[in-house]
Amino acid sequence: MSKKMDKVWFAVFTVPLLFVFATVVIIPFLIGIGYSFVSWDGIPANPKVFVGFDNYAKLFQDERFLASSWHTIQFTVLALVSVNLLGLLLSLFVTAKLRTSNAARTLFFMPNLIGGLILGYIWQFIFTDAFKMVGEKTGLHSVFFNWLLDPQFAIYAMVVVFTWQMAGYTMIIYIAGIQGIPDDLIEAAKVDGANLWHRLTRIVFPLLMPAFTICLFLTLSGAFKIFDVNLSLTKGGPNNASEMFAMNIFNEIFGYGHYGLGQAKAIVFFLIVAILTLTQVVITKRREVQM
Amino acid sequence: MRTTSKWLLELLLVLLALCFLSPVYLMVVNSFKNRAELYQNALALPSSLSFQYYSKAMEKMNYWTAFGNSVFVTVVSVVIVVLLASMTAWMLVRTDNKLSKIIFMVLVSTMLIPFQTLMMPLMQVMDWIRTNLHLPMLNTHGGLIYMNVGFHASMAVFLYHGFIKSVPVALEEAATLDGCSKFGVFWRIVFPMLTTITITIAILDVIAIWNDYLLPSLTLSDKGLRTIPLSTFYFFGEFTIVWNLAMAGLTLTIIPVVIFYFFAQKYIVKGIAAGAVK
Amino acid sequence: MRNVKKAFGIVTAAALVAGLAGCGGSNGGNDSNASGSPSASASGSASASASAAPEKFEKISLFQSKVEIAEPLEALAKKYKEETGNEVEVWGSAGDAYATQLQAKLTAGQGPTVFSVATGAEAEKFKSYLYDLSNEPFTASIAPHMALEADGKVVGVPYGVEGFGIVYNKSLVDPKDVSNLDSFTKTLEKLKAEGKNGFSLSQEAYFLIGHLINMPFALQADPQAFIDKLNKGEVKMADTKEFQEFAKFLDAIKANGTNPMEVKYDTQMGDFATGKTAMVHQGNWSYGMLKDYGDLGFDIGMMPFPLAGNTKLSVGVASNWVINAKASPEQIKAASAFLNWLFTSETGKNAIVNEFKFIPALTNIEADDLDPLSKAVFEATKSGQTVTWAFNMFPQGIIVNDLAPAAQEFFLDKNMTGEQFLQKLDAAWAKAAK
Repeated sequence: MSKKMDKVWFAVFTVPLLFVFATVVIIPFLIGIGYSFVSWDGIPANPKVFVGFDNYAKLFQDERFLASSWHTIQFTVLALVSVNLLGLLLSLFVTAKLRTSNAARTLFFMPNLIGGLILGYIWQFIFTDAFKMVGEKTGLHSVFFNWLLDPQFAIYAMVVVFTWQMAGYTMIIYIAGIQGIPDDLIEAAKVDGANLWHRLTRIVFPLLMPAFTICLFLTLSGAFKIFDVNLSLTKGGPNNASEMFAMNIFNEIFGYGHYGLGQAKAIVFFLIVAILTLTQVVITKRREVQM
Repeated sequence: MRTTSKWLLELLLVLLALCFLSPVYLMVVNSFKNRAELYQNALALPSSLSFQYYSKAMEKMNYWTAFGNSVFVTVVSVVIVVLLASMTAWMLVRTDNKLSKIIFMVLVSTMLIPFQTLMMPLMQVMDWIRTNLHLPMLNTHGGLIYMNVGFHASMAVFLYHGFIKSVPVALEEAATLDGCSKFGVFWRIVFPMLTTITITIAILDVIAIWNDYLLPSLTLSDKGLRTIPLSTFYFFGEFTIVWNLAMAGLTLTIIPVVIFYFFAQKYIVKGIAAGAVK
Repeated sequence: MRNVKKAFGIVTAAALVAGLAGCGGSNGGNDSNASGSPSASASGSASASASAAPEKFEKISLFQSKVEIAEPLEALAKKYKEETGNEVEVWGSAGDAYATQLQAKLTAGQGPTVFSVATGAEAEKFKSYLYDLSNEPFTASIAPHMALEADGKVVGVPYGVEGFGIVYNKSLVDPKDVSNLDSFTKTLEKLKAEGKNGFSLSQEAYFLIGHLINMPFALQADPQAFIDKLNKGEVKMADTKEFQEFAKFLDAIKANGTNPMEVKYDTQMGDFATGKTAMVHQGNWSYGMLKDYGDLGFDIGMMPFPLAGNTKLSVGVASNWVINAKASPEQIKAASAFLNWLFTSETGKNAIVNEFKFIPALTNIEADDLDPLSKAVFEATKSGQTVTWAFNMFPQGIIVNDLAPAAQEFFLDKNMTGEQFLQKLDAAWAKAAK
């Protein structure tokens, strides 16, 4: 077929989606970049003043913004590990052809069905009421106390809730990956005498690379952008110790009414995160096996 | 020996599942308590199993209208996302040039933008479309669906992109030689082999769109258009939450998706791609 | 036809149930109409026979922040349609998301016709959208100093007045024993010895510090001038007499009660309702919470927070009705007609007091059936025993974003004294006012 026809087909297949995507995400994002150079309170009828790079200069002196970035990084690293370990483990469990597999597959996914805001409210009961009760009954006060009141444990609490929510999510992507591995490959390996560990590390994991790429990235982007759970579980407290990046921006834009500064923060953070994660995607993509 | 370890594994699985379910337990038991009972003990079972809060929540939420709205918005959005994203992803995988790499990277990197920074400019763009092109993008289901498609497109493309690799190119080439157009190749050969990931994407997007509060709250104003999450607003005051109604409303919100998930996951089965290679 | 009648009957019944106390007058009008024409406008002209046939206006939209009145407001819109034939579409919004949603809708060119703004920074923010109501008839009856003004013009009508102070259990506390720092501290110590929690705050930003810190500000000779000076860094809280005593109150509260960071508003009121806590720093709105506990078995009251000899409750306006100045002239006309109906018709006035449960801020509205807390506020207002809500003059967002984190630190750090807390507050303020 001619090269020209290929281009036409390329357009036919991709343009509809890209058009919608551009109007909903790209253009608003570009407008947002424009706002990062003005001083404005976000109210359409109020004046916008061009201030050049002032907002960018300001944000690097904003200690609270820097602190929230640091919380976000801590949170993301912890969440990345715990979500994916647990998600992978669960997916191996429920594809192991056990009697309870089907039911378990539904149950593990259930947390994901509850939206982020409510999730935080429910977990508040657990950290304040349930943990207190367990602590009193078992005497393990060093573990079971109200995590939300301790600056460091408040971040851990968010990791726990996020893991609880996202593990089931990554689980079903891992399941989709595992289901894509042909049975005969594994059977052949069994015949050759490979034990479970070898079968996992030599066959299953390499073939799961696409799923890894996806899950790592989804966890990463979910963790970086976390807002709902932050708002409803800790409100950023105590003393801003668990304020994450998205919440910091939200407060800047809607709390203080510094629209331009908030946008500038968003763009700086976006650039840093995009460079980091795209590197990650490129690296893991390289390790994917083509069939 | 083998059976013992299998039993242990089963037991572990059940325990883990119960652990996972505990917050859901909290949600359900507290949908049966009044404020005084909730205050006494949030963790205990309710003293009586009366469904009064459920019927009250249903009535306040105008449940069935909201249910219809949610189903319409969710189903149409997800169908469009799946169709457009699978086509786009396939083209991007099979066209090995700079352009498709750039498109892919742009799609993926935008998933890192927090929605909070997009919402105001998005409203401006939609207002511009409304006033200049006279398309009703705001306060309509159509507009909400359009925005849903835009926001969920990148993740779907990303997921498809990863899984299309498991579809053997040889099959497509054979079909092309048989005289199939690109369209034919895609819909007859490729798409059917992507069932597992399609179902996965459908599940993830159905849940995300079904539960979404923020975007509908910005775009839908009229009472008759409200989706289920929007109609639970009555229970969330500035300082207080009417817990029993909120929890009942929430349970009512997620029951349909639980049912959907339970049936959909059965279609995530083994061997579709594998079978085709033989 | 039978179905129509039945449906109409149900609507009427619903309206009557919603009407509760105020059902006396409109009863006859509606009933006689059920048998006649089912048209809504006809029923309206019948019940309001004294006035001329109602004018037909454009349909308007209404967006407001107080979730608690969402349902009665919808019912009221239905009645408005029955009485006048005009339509008001009531939009929904969840509590603290309101301002953001309003901003988004205005940005999208989908602004509501009538909406609400909080007094203070929020009203200032949306100033360009506030229509001048100075010449509207209903603004004449707003109680003195209660109207929302911008540049000398009346732009908003208060929802109602609200007040806060110390809500106390009459069987545990006598107001005479809570009249100054000494007696306050002694009472707390006495209650603590009896195994009771004397005085409770809760972890929400406004309930933790926002309302409490109002008192030292409100007691300044000119609160606005004081805040201006504070913003410029010309004064410090740590050097101001009222604040110094305030810090001592905080020390007493911290030493003799449960840590407010452990307490949610829900638990705070639960502890109070069950007699475990003797006093809470709360407002008349908390009565709605207490009501859910049925008969408490004791009487409750509200008394002033006794800082620096204060004998007044903090009373102010939280939210105001405004008209969107950017709406079309026809819509503005329709909006003003609706507000006029709301504040002058029997149905409207009845809804404000009995359905919304507001303490009226309009002199033409009577309030005789108030709950005990609202009554205390209403009486203080009538006798002038009130201080202003100075926190409405604070820089935007400062309570939630700056003062609350400092207060969290104070209550979580066992070693921090009230004096050190004041310094933290000064630092937080300086940063926020920049």
